[in-house]
Amino acid sequence: MLDPELELHPKEKILRKKRNQEKIDLVKAILLDSFFVFYTILVCQRAIYYKVILDLRELPFSWNEISVFAIISLAVGFIWGYSRTSLGAKIMGLAKETKFAKWSSEIFAWTLFNLTFIAGWLVTKISIIDLFSKEGIEGANRIFYALFTPEFGIFDDALFAIIETIYLALIATLLSIPPTLILSFFTARNLMKDNWFTLSIYYVLRIILNFVRSIEPLIWAIIFSVWVGIGPYAGMIALLVHTIAANAKLYSEAIESIEEGPVDAITATGANKLQIIWYAVVPQIVLPFLSFTIYRWDINVRMATVIGLVGGGGIGTMLMQYQGLAQWHEVGLIVIMIAIVVWIMDYISAKIREAIY
Amino acid sequence: MSSNKIVEVRNLHKVYPSGTHALKGVSLDVYKGEFLVVIGLSGSGKTTLLKCINRLEEPTAGSVKFLGKDITHIKGKELREVRTHIGMVFQQFNLIKRMSVLNNVLAGKLGYMKTLPSILGNFPPQCIEEALKNLDIVGIKEYAYERADKLSGGQQQRVAIARSLMQSPKLLLADEPVASLDPATSNSIMQYFEKVNKELGVTVVCNLHFLSLVRRYATRVIALKSGEIVFEGYPNEIDEKWFKKIYGEEAEEVEIR
Repeated sequence: MLDPELELHPKEKILRKKRNQEKIDLVKAILLDSFFVFYTILVCQRAIYYKVILDLRELPFSWNEISVFAIISLAVGFIWGYSRTSLGAKIMGLAKETKFAKWSSEIFAWTLFNLTFIAGWLVTKISIIDLFSKEGIEGANRIFYALFTPEFGIFDDALFAIIETIYLALIATLLSIPPTLILSFFTARNLMKDNWFTLSIYYVLRIILNFVRSIEPLIWAIIFSVWVGIGPYAGMIALLVHTIAANAKLYSEAIESIEEGPVDAITATGANKLQIIWYAVVPQIVLPFLSFTIYRWDINVRMATVIGLVGGGGIGTMLMQYQGLAQWHEVGLIVIMIAIVVWIMDYISAKIREAIY
Repeated sequence: MSSNKIVEVRNLHKVYPSGTHALKGVSLDVYKGEFLVVIGLSGSGKTTLLKCINRLEEPTAGSVKFLGKDITHIKGKELREVRTHIGMVFQQFNLIKRMSVLNNVLAGKLGYMKTLPSILGNFPPQCIEEALKNLDIVGIKEYAYERADKLSGGQQQRVAIARSLMQSPKLLLADEPVASLDPATSNSIMQYFEKVNKELGVTVVCNLHFLSLVRRYATRVIALKSGEIVFEGYPNEIDEKWFKKIYGEEAEEVEIR
C-alpha cells in the first residue's frame, strides 16, 4: 500500500539524487573542457599561426587535421576535467579547493578571453588608418553636410511613406493579438504541466516559436517579398509573424508568473479549467498583455523602417531608393523624419503604458 | 456512527517532488457540525492536510473519504462536484484583485454553473441576490461594487468567507485565515467563522497559530508536529505540558538544525 519511495529515508533519497547529479555534472565538465581546448587549438592555428605569422590569404582546411585536434582535445579535456582542476570543473562547481586548480582554471579562462579578443580584432579587420585617412574624412564630411541640409522637395512623398510605415506596423500589431493570446495559454508551463499530452503540446509549440523568433523580421521580409511580392503587404506579414512569436513568449511568461493563490481559490470552488483560466488567470494578465502590445507597436514602427530596406514598403523602401542614387540630401530628410516619428512613438507608448499601470 | 462523520482521513502520506515528507501517516475524523482546529508550527503539515482534503494537493498514499465516499483518486467532473461542497478560505485571501467584491463572491458559484454563461458573467438574478445576502452575513454589503483590492485585509477575508458561502458548503476549510491580520481583526474574523459554524451549521476545519483563539473558538483540537498527529482532544486539555510538547521541543529541534 505504501509507496516504496516512502520507506526510504528522505535524506538518503536526496543524497542519492545528489550523487547522480554530480556524475552528470562531471561529464558536462569534461565536455566543456574538451571544447575549450579544441577552440584554443583552432584559434591559435587558424587566426594566429596562419593569418599573422604566415600571413596566408587562403586558409588551408583538412578534416584529418581537425579530427586529430578533436582527439587531442578530448584526451586533454578528460584528464584535466576528471582531475577536477579545470575550468569546466570550476563552472560546474566541482573544482577542488587546491591552489593548482584555482590557478589553472583562472589562467586558462584569461587565455581564452584574450585569444578570442585578438581573433575577433583580426577577423573584423580593424584599421585606425582607414578611419582617419584623408579621403575617408572628406567622404564623411560630404555625407554629413548633405544629411544636415535635407531636401524638402520630397517632403509630401516622404510623409505619405512614413504614414504607410506606421499603419503597416499598427496592422501587424493588431492582427497579432488574437493568435498570440491563444498561443500564450498553450505555451505557459503552469497551465500545461498537468499531463503528458498538454506538456508535449507545450514543448512542440515552444520549439516552433523559438525558431520563428530567432529569424529576424528582416529575413522574414525577404521570404515574404518573394512569396507575396515586394511591398507593404510583405513587410506587414513579416512583422506579424515575428510579433506573434516574440509576444507569445512575453505573454506566456506573464501567465507563468501570476499569483497561484487565486488559482487555488477558484479551483477549490469546483470550477472547471476554462472557468479557472477566465476568473483566476486572465484578470492578472490583462495589464501586462496590453503593455507588451503597445510597446510592440512602438518596436514594429522602428522595425518597419528597416524592413522597407529589403522591399517591405513604406519609408524604408524610399530611403533605399535615394541611397542607391546617392542623393544624400533626400536621404537626410528621410532620416530626420524617421527619427522624429520614432521619438514620438516612443514617447506616446511610454505615456500610455504609464497610464494603464 | 459513521453517518455523523463528514471527513475520514486514513494513514495519509504526502511527499513533495522536492523530497519533503509533509504528512507521515495522518489519520483523523471530522464530525458533522464541529469546529475542529489544527495547530502546529509552520511546516508541520497543516496546510498540506487541508489541501489534501479538497485535493488541491494529491495525496501520495492513504485515503480521504468525504461523506462516506472515497475521494482519494476521483478525477474531472466527479472531483469538481465534490469540491463544490467544500469551501476554502486562505491566509492570503486569494481574491481576484481587479474584480468587484460582488463578482468575487459570485465566483464561489462557478462550480454550479455552465461554462459559457459563467464566462460571459451571466449570473442568474437569484445568484446575485444570494451573493448580496452572503455579503450581508459578513457585514460588508455596502462594499459590493468596490474593487476587491481597495478593501482592508480583514474586509478582504470577509469577502473570501462570503465567496465560500456561495458554495452552500457542507465543510469549510480555513488555512490560517487570520495569520496576516492584526489581533483585533483576527478576533472579528473568527467570530464570522463561529457564526457560519453555529448558525448555518457548516462544519469548520481551521488551521490556527494563536492558542488564545483556539481556546475560545475550537470545539476540538488536533496538533500536528512534523507531519504527525501528536495531540487530539479538547481545547481546555492543552496545558503547559502539551504546549511544550507541541511547540517547545520542536523549537529546540529547529535550533539544532
